[in-house]
Amino acid sequence: MDLRAGDSWGMLACLCAVLWHLPAVPALNRTGDPGPGPSIQKTYDLTRYLEHQLRSLAGTYLNYLGPPFNEPDFNPPRLGAETLPRATVNLDVWRSLNDKLRLTQNYEAYSHLLCYLRGLDRQAATAELRRSLAHFCTSLQGLLGSIAGVMAALGYPLPQPLPGTEPTRAPGPAHSDFLQKMDDFWLLKELQTWLWRSAKDFNRLKKKTQPPPAAVTLHLEAHGF
Amino acid sequence: MAAPVPWACCAVLAAATAVVYAQRHSPQEAPHVQYERLGSDVTLPCGTANWDAAVTWRVNGTDLAPDLLNGSQLVLHGLELGHSGLYACFHRDSWHLRHQVLLHVGLPPREPVLSCRSNTYPKGFYCSWHLPTPTYIPNTFNVTVLHGSKIMVCEKDPALKNRCHIRYMHLFSTIKYKVSISVSNALGHNATAITFDEFTIVKPDPPENVVARPVPNNPRRLEVTWQTPSTWPDPESFPLKFFLRYRPLILDQWQHVELSDGTAHTITDAYAGKEYIIQVAAKDNEIGTWSDWSVAAHATPWTEEPRHLTTEAQAPETTTSTTSSLAPPPTTKICDPGELGSGGGTLTPFSIGVPVTLALAAAAATANSLLI
Repeated sequence: MDLRAGDSWGMLACLCAVLWHLPAVPALNRTGDPGPGPSIQKTYDLTRYLEHQLRSLAGTYLNYLGPPFNEPDFNPPRLGAETLPRATVNLDVWRSLNDKLRLTQNYEAYSHLLCYLRGLDRQAATAELRRSLAHFCTSLQGLLGSIAGVMAALGYPLPQPLPGTEPTRAPGPAHSDFLQKMDDFWLLKELQTWLWRSAKDFNRLKKKTQPPPAAVTLHLEAHGF
Repeated sequence: MAAPVPWACCAVLAAATAVVYAQRHSPQEAPHVQYERLGSDVTLPCGTANWDAAVTWRVNGTDLAPDLLNGSQLVLHGLELGHSGLYACFHRDSWHLRHQVLLHVGLPPREPVLSCRSNTYPKGFYCSWHLPTPTYIPNTFNVTVLHGSKIMVCEKDPALKNRCHIRYMHLFSTIKYKVSISVSNALGHNATAITFDEFTIVKPDPPENVVARPVPNNPRRLEVTWQTPSTWPDPESFPLKFFLRYRPLILDQWQHVELSDGTAHTITDAYAGKEYIIQVAAKDNEIGTWSDWSVAAHATPWTEEPRHLTTEAQAPETTTSTTSSLAPPPTTKICDPGELGSGGGTLTPFSIGVPVTLALAAAAATANSLLI
């Protein structure tokens, strides 16, 4: 894909529009329906896999951004990046979320985040970095599909985007290079936090929809965690 | 004529005594409290007395040698902790108490050591602190917690004076927490701060009530059960995974098993007849670090009861009280020598102990028969 300057934002908006109108992945083979349990487990596993992948991707990307972004105790105030979906939530509110809302919030968050991630494809980035980003985007796409599958299995409708709320990287007034990097920093941070949150969200869903499990094997070991 | 004179004399004497008494024991102002640095030199003036006033100094009631005096001032060089005490100076002739100093020798505080941990995620976390070296004088600590720009309350622990607790209002925050502590005493001041993400300080307490039991008719198995730590508030939504380690007491090498669910596990490769030590640790499934190891549980796998013994082999049984202190675990019975060769289904790689036990049993039997 050859992105020219003027086309890039239009291309991005188009991509995002495509994503939002993604048809729901047909969930499960309904014969002998084991319920949404296995696909919730699969979604949980995907969040763990993605979190693991993100760790190395974020490390590489922050090094590319350079100091201070790659310093461990870098602690900037949260300015800008207002349109990023925030994982942070009041404890009691989070606890009392019903399943539909819980799943919807996850789905919407990752849709937004994926959109922003695709826009992270900078010209100065190395080919290696672009490859890692593309791979991660594909995995994140898989997670979205998995969440959509769970929602379909539970009979919840997929969230439809409201007109005018499509996330785009506003080309607006001169967004300095430094501010752009700050936005990248917060994107990665928010993505990591969402993946941690999703693991907890899907844990909660697992317990509520599954019958008490029999002996659970060490399935996480296979991913080398 | 003689009567009024003794009267006057008595009166004057009484008055003088009263004055002296009053002067000696009149309520003085509270002693002046003074803090001085260990190793330093200090000069204590005797209140408002002139430099050339004749005074005597005492510390905690004991007289001090006059060679420490510089005029009416007391000079102490190279202060040590033993110099702390109540110093008083008296007018030499009248013993009138002129001045008192309560001296405390100490040090200014070094940089405090501060750490925070969440063993009650997602309820909150606590921070605790201490000074790396003592100051020997009272210190006051002041802790502030910032979440971004928001100040959070750190509630003092009811039992421990160097700990306070913070409650999480929001979860899954991308903004770091900054905890600062300042410590000050009469001789100085110091401070430090730490910054961390919500997820990095999560560390549960160790699992509780770890119990290990032998499994009947299974000489190589041990059944281990435990409970999630009682301080972990929500194991349903925030499940813990566990790490189990075990080894026979006589070996140094641990075996490890990681368990992603459940609070029980059966060890199936225990060495028969050997006492085992078992510990368990816990961790949130996704975030934070492993807990410390639990209190150790001890157990020995089930061993087969010896079969019907002949009268020869029965003699050692009456002397088990003398040999049991030397034999390994108490559940190891003294076997009929014939059984050893067949193995009886048990694997005993460490059979060194057995011949010794047999020799001892034989010796004891002999001794026993001699006593009779």
